[in-house]
Amino acid sequence: MKKLLISVVLFSSLLFGQSGVKPVDNKLYLKECGSCHFAFQAGLLPERSWVKMMNNLENHFDTDATLAKEDYDTIMNYLKVNSSEKAMNYKRSRKMTNSIRGNQTPLKITEVAYFVDKHNEIPLRLITQKGVGTLSNCMACHTTADRGIYSERAIQIPNYGRWDD
Amino acid sequence: MRKIAIAIMLVFITNIFASQFNPIMQEYINNLKTEAKKENSGFVDFSIKEGEKIFTTSHIGKKSEKISCTSCHNIDLTTTGKNTFTNKLIEPLSPNKNPNRLTSVKDVEKWLRRNFKDVYNRAGTAQEKGDVLYYINSK
Repeated sequence: MKKLLISVVLFSSLLFGQSGVKPVDNKLYLKECGSCHFAFQAGLLPERSWVKMMNNLENHFDTDATLAKEDYDTIMNYLKVNSSEKAMNYKRSRKMTNSIRGNQTPLKITEVAYFVDKHNEIPLRLITQKGVGTLSNCMACHTTADRGIYSERAIQIPNYGRWDD
Repeated sequence: MRKIAIAIMLVFITNIFASQFNPIMQEYINNLKTEAKKENSGFVDFSIKEGEKIFTTSHIGKKSEKISCTSCHNIDLTTTGKNTFTNKLIEPLSPNKNPNRLTSVKDVEKWLRRNFKDVYNRAGTAQEKGDVLYYINSK
């Protein structure tokens, strides 16, 4: 019975793809990028965005995020291999990729059209409040963001509660 | 009487070790001392007190905003800090509270390089790095 269930899940995920975005599965990436901010999944931006970002770590959103050479290489490679356009079987990666025009190289996940569209109805006060602060603080509301799951069911906005679209 | 003396000795020795750097970190500190001597021939040793000043005073940082080390790491280094720009929590800096701190030269060099830029908008001198490491290590 259990085997059957697993096969059904596997089969349907092959047919319909995965729902969220591939969770981060690189320890170095988690440590180096996740110490200052939420470790955004590589599948949230296309390769050209990651490359542009990694080329300017001295000025990473106005902070110094430089890395040792060997760590830089490992992380650059991880981001390239797992970027959004290479993870199109994941729903969020697909939607993010498809909403970015070919001539755009966004550096902020929060400025990608699909992301903007998904968040534009949230009142500013819920974003600027103490427990959240900024839209890039995924875990503040998406309780399962670290597992790559951004579904509505897992949203819990501080001082507001669940969010219904 | 002898037992008491031994017990006192043991406590004394453990206390010394508690505030000492591990061998690779001590080597790094020694290198900083050599560098500090080159910067200033009158250099004697690093200072916890000077480190405290570096850690607690505010400056216009890389983001053109007034900031100090304590903006993210708090005044009390045994407490959990919070990145003031991203709201990400930061484990305590105090090696007494968080024994992983100040154990890896690679990590220490990385954070000194980044955070001097972030808070002071320039690289730290060997003297300053040593001072601030002495300060953190005393917590």
